[in-house]
Amino acid sequence: MPETVRERTSTRRSRRSEARSARLAVEVELVVDKERVELQPTERADEPDGKLKALLRDELAGLDAERRTAIVDELASSSLLEEHGSLELSGSLHEIREVLRERLPTCLVEARQPVGLAVEQILAVDERSFWVSGWLHDEDGEGEVTFVSPEGARVPVTADAFRFERPDVVQFYAGLQGNPTRDHGFTAFIELPVPSLLSSGWIAELKTSQGVAVEIRCPDPELDLQAVRLKILGELGSRGPVGGPLAAEHGRRALTRLQERIVGESEVDSIDVYGEPPAAPAVSIVVPLYKRLDFIEHQLLHLSTDPDIAEAELIYVLDSVDQKEELAAKARELFALYGLPFKVVNLTAGAGFAGANKHGIEASKGGQLLLLNSDVIPDRPGWLRGMREFYESQEKIGALGVKLLYEDDSLQHAGLYFHRTAGSELWENAHCFKGLHRSFEAADVARVVPAVTAACMLVDRDRYEEAGGLPLHYVQGDYEDSELCLRLAEAGYENWYLPTVELYHLEGQSYVADTRRVPSEYNMWLHSEIWGEEIEAVMASFDAFPKGDR
Amino acid sequence: MSDLRVLYVAHNHPTLHPGGAEAYSLELYEAMRGEPGVEPVLMARIGSNVARRRVAHPGTPFSSVNGDPNQHFIFTETDHFDFFNLTSRDKSLYSRHLTDFLLAQRPDVVHLQHTHFIGIDLLSQIRRVLPDAAIVYTLHEFLPICHHHGQMVRTFSDELCPEASPRRCNECFPELSPQSFFLRERFVKGHFANVDRFLAPSAQLMDKYLRWGIGEERIEVEEYGRLAPTRRAPDPRQAKAPTNIGFFGQLSHFKGAEVMMEAMAMLEPESNAHLWLHGANLELQTTEFQEEFARLQESLRGRVTFRGSYEHDELPKLMADLHWVLIPSIWWENSPLVIQEAFFHRRPIVCSDVGGMAEKVRDGVDGLHFRVGDAYSLARTIEEATTNPRLWRSLREGIRDPYPMDAHVSRLMNLYGELVEQRKGVTAGA
Repeated sequence: MPETVRERTSTRRSRRSEARSARLAVEVELVVDKERVELQPTERADEPDGKLKALLRDELAGLDAERRTAIVDELASSSLLEEHGSLELSGSLHEIREVLRERLPTCLVEARQPVGLAVEQILAVDERSFWVSGWLHDEDGEGEVTFVSPEGARVPVTADAFRFERPDVVQFYAGLQGNPTRDHGFTAFIELPVPSLLSSGWIAELKTSQGVAVEIRCPDPELDLQAVRLKILGELGSRGPVGGPLAAEHGRRALTRLQERIVGESEVDSIDVYGEPPAAPAVSIVVPLYKRLDFIEHQLLHLSTDPDIAEAELIYVLDSVDQKEELAAKARELFALYGLPFKVVNLTAGAGFAGANKHGIEASKGGQLLLLNSDVIPDRPGWLRGMREFYESQEKIGALGVKLLYEDDSLQHAGLYFHRTAGSELWENAHCFKGLHRSFEAADVARVVPAVTAACMLVDRDRYEEAGGLPLHYVQGDYEDSELCLRLAEAGYENWYLPTVELYHLEGQSYVADTRRVPSEYNMWLHSEIWGEEIEAVMASFDAFPKGDR
Repeated sequence: MSDLRVLYVAHNHPTLHPGGAEAYSLELYEAMRGEPGVEPVLMARIGSNVARRRVAHPGTPFSSVNGDPNQHFIFTETDHFDFFNLTSRDKSLYSRHLTDFLLAQRPDVVHLQHTHFIGIDLLSQIRRVLPDAAIVYTLHEFLPICHHHGQMVRTFSDELCPEASPRRCNECFPELSPQSFFLRERFVKGHFANVDRFLAPSAQLMDKYLRWGIGEERIEVEEYGRLAPTRRAPDPRQAKAPTNIGFFGQLSHFKGAEVMMEAMAMLEPESNAHLWLHGANLELQTTEFQEEFARLQESLRGRVTFRGSYEHDELPKLMADLHWVLIPSIWWENSPLVIQEAFFHRRPIVCSDVGGMAEKVRDGVDGLHFRVGDAYSLARTIEEATTNPRLWRSLREGIRDPYPMDAHVSRLMNLYGELVEQRKGVTAGA
């Protein structure tokens, strides 16, 4: 240890008179100065260590329990953790917690004990927010549960938690006299002031109104993103209607955060360029690819026979990242065959439909964006020109959709409207004239509609960005396009349906599998929750099935 | 004035499920398409029991048919249909999808051939969504009245049932209470209240619905109109006696399969009568029935020949060698289309002496009746028919042309016009 360091340390200590400090991590030390106990950045990384236990013993262990608990909480909530958080620091804070924290008796769950507490799962939504579920039993239902993070941050849970009946717990305590707790179960989305990095060491405490205080050790948080999403959705699906108070008060915040994280963790890995795309394209065509790569062979053939497409920028975004090599091989061959230039955006992780579009759009140059699904095949050339001409003829246009057809010439899309079953508060997306023949007269009228599908949508880039683009908060896609259209309408633009342009859209035959039930119900609820009033207003003046001449 | 839009609703499409009512529905739709002043639209049900795959797109039960803009399939799950109350358990079929379809199509007239597999609730939904639309309903059997496959034959015997009631129906189905039959009847009649006119292809069918409680101002007899075949079967080769008898249709108990086989077994040894079976769906019958049928067929080698199923356009060829057509059904029948087929090709008919058969085939004029369900009576009738060339020739002379499609179309056009006016009066007064 160089001499100068010791000198500096001693100088600083003397300046602070009584202050004592101990290093907690490379860049952080604990400073105790009379009443003041706080984390501070160290000025040098190589300060000596080893005094923490002595410091805690000498200065803090003698304080009363309440004060010690408060100190642990304050240290674990220090804003210093935002910038200097590290596993080492978290480990030191955990050590502090273990020395200073007042330990409560461990709660034993027994049928004859009036007090019981169980935490069944902690799901890590991100480093500072968690989804916790469990149950408690006490004398009068007034008991309060507090979670303590491994670093020592305290989060009261019961005040805001979603409470529900647990028949199994009721059964378990059936032998007890008195006025038993109702709504034993609790589930809550909780947030810490700063990130928690340790993957074990959570504690839950229960204090009852009769003064009984107990604690238990919690199971370790689930960290896998997909598993966390699945379990949250599972709870939403098993506590009454998916769109109930659990979703409104907890689920929406948790899932929105989770979606942001899923998209945030996906970055552009590389962009492969085939041929020489136009340097200054007027329009960029963005096509997300997920699993079914066989469609692009068909799509490229029909795009390559249309001279308009060569003037546009064509971008594929591969959302199923494990197919990178497969797609690259295919892309090389298809470019050699059809000679139509295009780009492939490879991602580091799947981003979902809206996220993949986001990456594709960020990599694009065109002043207009044409969002296209990979299973959309033009009926005949000229479709892009037709869309652009119409778009430019309408001053206030937001999104433009066109006539999309099934393989049997039934209508797949002729504009979207919103449908609400009598007695329900939820709006669902519905397609005008779906299933009728492509020549159906009333579907042959260009008109302003509440929304159009993103399977084939033309929108001005500035207007798209003004409206915030495709939203990322829906789980596994559903309502992104209608929300974008509602946002465009809110910004004063009109969404148009144009029947003279026709393309095939081989929308999957896969019926809503049971695993998709909860996500779709959640998405429908979220869409209605955010846009219910706007939808009500737009549907009051929209006739989905106009009489026409008849 | 714009064209009258008429929506035809059928419970099957003939390209997927051959059947009399189905064939008639498509013929009528096609005939209407050639008619000025009317634009027909056909909605035919398709489902898991007839289609080899789901013919449906996500989010809608509708799809278009063979590129015809005015023909639509409506896909419904067979499992979703309540065969007792004749309704769909999936109510969103009405509240959502059929509502959208009706609003998009806006027919002036909805002419239902059937609501099976779609559900009788459709009638109320049409009325609610389109108060002005006239609703016409063609009755093909007794399903609205009778839970026993709409046959009005008792379950515990082959006794013909003249009249349904909660008590009598409970006798047929002891596991279903009289109360549930009461509710069934009220349910069906509740939805039937929306129908402006019922069409009964036979008077005997109309009589049973009148007795059941359909008001006489709301029902009339209107025979199925048929297109004449493009060619008639040639006359049978001249032989000493008219010995060849043909049977066309399903080989099932209600169609009298056992009665005709037993009758053939009872013929005098010297009889030259020969029965040619053109039948389908034997594989759908019960195992006992199939075994019994096979036993009878084996013992009747030389008198009965099974020739399998047939396509409609093969009829002229198949009729060529026949002298008679046999209809031995043990239920009432409505207006069997095979009668019209036989008469088109100038073949007299031997049939049971009840219901639509006795009404459409005149005994001693264009055919011969035998006592329903009575193999002995049928055997004696066959012996008489197959040994008497003079009788055969005179019955053949007595045959009149069946009711032609163009007459049917013009009657329907008048009816549609009349009902549309009538509806206007109702909704204007409301």
